[in-house]
Amino acid sequence: MMSLPFLFFACGLGAAWLSHRGVAMGFWFVGLVAMLVLFRVHVTEVLNIAL
Amino acid sequence: MSADLSRLLNALGLVAIGTVLALAFVDQVWFRDLPCGQCILQRAGFFAAGFGIALNVIFGPKPSHYGIAILGAMAGGAISLYQTLMYIVPGTGSYGNAIFGLHLYTWAFFAFALTIIGCAIMMLDDRQFARTAPMSARLRVLPLSALLLFMALVVANIFSTVALCGGGLCPANPADYIMFAASPV
Repeated sequence: MMSLPFLFFACGLGAAWLSHRGVAMGFWFVGLVAMLVLFRVHVTEVLNIAL
Repeated sequence: MSADLSRLLNALGLVAIGTVLALAFVDQVWFRDLPCGQCILQRAGFFAAGFGIALNVIFGPKPSHYGIAILGAMAGGAISLYQTLMYIVPGTGSYGNAIFGLHLYTWAFFAFALTIIGCAIMMLDDRQFARTAPMSARLRVLPLSALLLFMALVVANIFSTVALCGGGLCPANPADYIMFAASPV
């Protein structure tokens, strides 16, 4: 599951290499969302700092 | 700045990001400093940022490509900032080896900030967006090499992450590669 962002970015780079710019940007967006969702899952504790 | 010069500078930026990711691999393989879950997500952040720069190299410079790079760097920077703040209070520990006195997540935050600043500076020159003609052949070696390095690194990260974490989430403090660990009898 953690390799999903890399997989989407790899697909996007492949699409860009084949000159499909829109598809590449779509893969980038999905990869970014997957990355942020995985980050949310990994954040298990509130930061113990005072700002 | 011409579109060709912009592409060359973007290729240099892509090489810089590729170097950061390659050094992370060296730290992982040579020094057995296995990346945690958030460390892997920061690597993904470098790919998210480098993606926009790679689009500049392939299709020519466009504001939307710089936007992609900045958004990717912001997402990666948020992750590295979270991890930096986790350990910022003295006595709360750290993760991984320190390099030149700073841990990798702190260096990553600086690298993401530099990426954003670099993209913002590059966007100041509008002349690069005027023409998107194919790049002249004699200038293609560096961009091609940078792209191939970036693509090889993203594929390597897919295999590395699957080997380290299997099909699920990565442990917060991995001791070994899940795929290569001896199964209990």
